Parts: sequence; C-alpha cells; structure tokens
Amino acid sequence: MKITHILFWLALALLVQTTLVPLVAGGGAPVDLVLIVVVFAALSRGPVAGLWTGTLAGLLQDALSGGIIGVGGLTKTMIGVVVGVIGSRFLLGTVWHRLTVLVGASFVHGFCYLWIHTLIGQDGPAGPVALVTVQAAVNALVGVTVPLVARTAPGMLDRLRRSRNPLRRRRWMMS
Amino acid sequence: MDRRQRTGYLVLAVVLAHIIVISAQVSAGPGASMLETVTFGSFAEVQRLMTSGFDSVVRLWSGYIGLRDVREKNVELNREILNLRLELQTQHALAQQTRSLERLLELRQTVALPTLSARVIATDATPYFLTLTIDRGWQDDIRPDLAVIAPDGVVGRVVGSPSQRAAQIQLLIDRNAAAGALIERTRVSGVVVGTDDSTRLQMEYVSNLEDVQVGDEIVTSGIDGIYPKGFRIGEVTQVVDGIGLYQLIQVSPVVEFSQIEDVLVVLDAQVILSDTDEK
Repeated sequence: MKITHILFWLALALLVQTTLVPLVAGGGAPVDLVLIVVVFAALSRGPVAGLWTGTLAGLLQDALSGGIIGVGGLTKTMIGVVVGVIGSRFLLGTVWHRLTVLVGASFVHGFCYLWIHTLIGQDGPAGPVALVTVQAAVNALVGVTVPLVARTAPGMLDRLRRSRNPLRRRRWMMS
Repeated sequence: MDRRQRTGYLVLAVVLAHIIVISAQVSAGPGASMLETVTFGSFAEVQRLMTSGFDSVVRLWSGYIGLRDVREKNVELNREILNLRLELQTQHALAQQTRSLERLLELRQTVALPTLSARVIATDATPYFLTLTIDRGWQDDIRPDLAVIAPDGVVGRVVGSPSQRAAQIQLLIDRNAAAGALIERTRVSGVVVGTDDSTRLQMEYVSNLEDVQVGDEIVTSGIDGIYPKGFRIGEVTQVVDGIGLYQLIQVSPVVEFSQIEDVLVVLDAQVILSDTDEK
C-alpha cells in the first residue's frame, strides 16, 4: 500500500463516513471507516506509517466531528502504532487474522476514546459497551467484506460476462 | 540511535503533542481552534461537492429518467407541505404565546422569525458525536449558537466556527446539548437534554410536586438565549418520581433526526429575545 493510496483511501473513508453512510444506514451509523483504513495502513506499512496515518486520520476526524481536537488523534495514533508493531512481528495473511485485529483494534479504540473523554470531564455517549461492541462487529464486517469484494468482483464479472456470451463460449469450446 | 529507538521517540513525541493539544483546549474552553477551522472549512467544500454530485445523479435518475412529471409534482407538493407545516408550527407558537400573554393581561407584539434555509451536506465523522453540516456559513451571517429548526420543531444549534459556506450543527439529541423548555399545558419550566438516543430526550429540573402527564407537549421556553420561545421539542412519554427533588421525564422528539435534509437557521433570536424583554 503506497502512501498516496493510503491518503486516497483515508480521504474516501472520511467522505463516505460523513456523506454516504448516513444515507444508507441512517443517523449515528456505528461504523468507523477511518479506523479501518488506519488498521490496514498499519498492517501493510508498519508502525511508523500506522502512527502518521492514525495521527492524520484522527485529527481530521476530530476537526470534522465537533469534539475536542486530539482525542481521536491520540487514540488512532496509538492504534496505528500497536497494529503496525503486531503486523511487523506476526504473519497476518488470512482473513481471520485481519478480522481478529480489526475487532481488537475497534474495541481498544472505542474504550480508549471514551476513557479519555471521561478523564477530561466530557460526557461520553450513553450505553458505551453496546456502542463499541456493535461498532467493532460492523467494522470487522466492512473491513473483511470490502477488500474481499474488491479482489473477487472483477473476476466474477468477467466470468459472468463470458458465460452470457454464447459466441465466446462456443469459440472456447471449439478450441 | 537505531530504528526501533527512533520510532519509540517519534511515538512519544506525537503522543505528547496530542496531550498538549487536548490540554490546551480543555483549559481554554470550547473555542474553535485554527486546525478545526481550517480542516472543517476545506473539507466542507469537498463534502458539498460530493453531496451535490450524488444528489445530481439521484436527481437525474429519479427526476428525469424515472417518473419525470410525477417526481416534479411530488417535490412541489412536499415543499408545500413543509411550508404549511412550518406555518402551522409558527401559528402554534404564536397561539400558545398569545394564551400566555392573555393570562398576564399584557399586549405584546409578535415578531416573525427571520430564518435562513439550509441544506444538510454531511453528518458527524465519528459515531460518538451527533452533528450535522449545513451548506451555509459566515458569508450568510451564520454564527455560533444560532438556533436551527425544522418544520416539525427544534433541531439544534450552530457550534464551532462556521466556515465561509458551511457550519456545524449540534443536534438536540447530543448528550452535551440542552435547551430551556416548558410544558405547554402547565407552563412548568425545565431543561431538555439529549441522551444520544435519537428517539428519546430527557427533561430535567421539574419538581416532583409539579403536574406532568404522558402526552404533554414540550416547547422551548426561550430562557437559554438560543432557541426562540414556543417551538416544539417533543411529547412526554414517561413520567417517574425521582429519588431526589426532581421528576424523571422522558420526551419523544418531534423531529425525525435521522431524516433531516433541510433546516432553517434562526438568524437573530437574541435580538428578538431582548426586544421582548424590553417590552
């Protein structure tokens, strides 16, 4: 994952999170697409990339959410570093590994975020455990499904096109 | 210094920088920082473009390719309904204000609210805050703490520092939001606060001795200096005597917060309030 790719996915995640997600899932959708990008960036590029991606993503998200600037930045920075370290020390190639990392990162991020708010005397959302749990589940689902679809969709479309084209099929059979 | 050490120092420096930024904001109060202003201002433009692009595609499909005439008529009728509902809301506010004034045997002049319509171009960036972004900013005289209403009732207030063409709205259902309110039937006042649940608000500081019933309508009291008096907030759904002095009152908001597309920003509620006070 190149740095330009990370920046592109980050910008896209922020845009989708703030514009399209509410249209699809209604208000207060419990998914953090930006966190998913931070986790993938850290897994593919290591702790330093995780750190900078987390910092940038968190600060941008803070600035757009109306909360205290730095809380999201701090939590996402820590997540980026920790996931980056884990990714550089262990082989995390399978879907199940990534799922586990995403769920863990979502839980740690959610509780750290709420804990920092409590520390500085800010009210967090009601029902934090339920909120963080749902968010972790949705993040994991999205984080596993989207790359899978992105990887398999072109091949599937190609196969579908071939199967619907009788001429091409006949030519293939003849050869 | 090896690479691992360097990374460690870098992490430490970034974490310290974050802590300093957070500390500065907590001690300095909730003012908008430069980073917030710049990021919000620039990102809002991209959000506006994306929403416009998405809207254009949707409009093209449903307004022209699909049911062209029916869609147009529908939009027109919907606009008319919104206007009528807003009118009803204003009349409702005026009527209850008049009743109150008649009781006091005073004659006061009612002032029409100067409002500015705005479109919602984005929602909150995190699942933890309940905010909206509208397509009006300081060039349209939008400033912090202006009330935002919908045809059904109160939506929230402007927070942060508006950019040239965008502003952030804190919804009334946000846990950190509050509005001065009163029960329309009995004129008992209290404070309505958010609960982070879009279907539930809470009314606080209403004595256990006061008469509150399920179904009572809650309207703004105007004492907070943000929301104009008499606008609908919601309806009482549950009343329980609290352990202390106050009742636990749950309120169902009249506004469907997850489906807000257009809002009205009340431009100078302060002026209206001070004007009313003088009279």
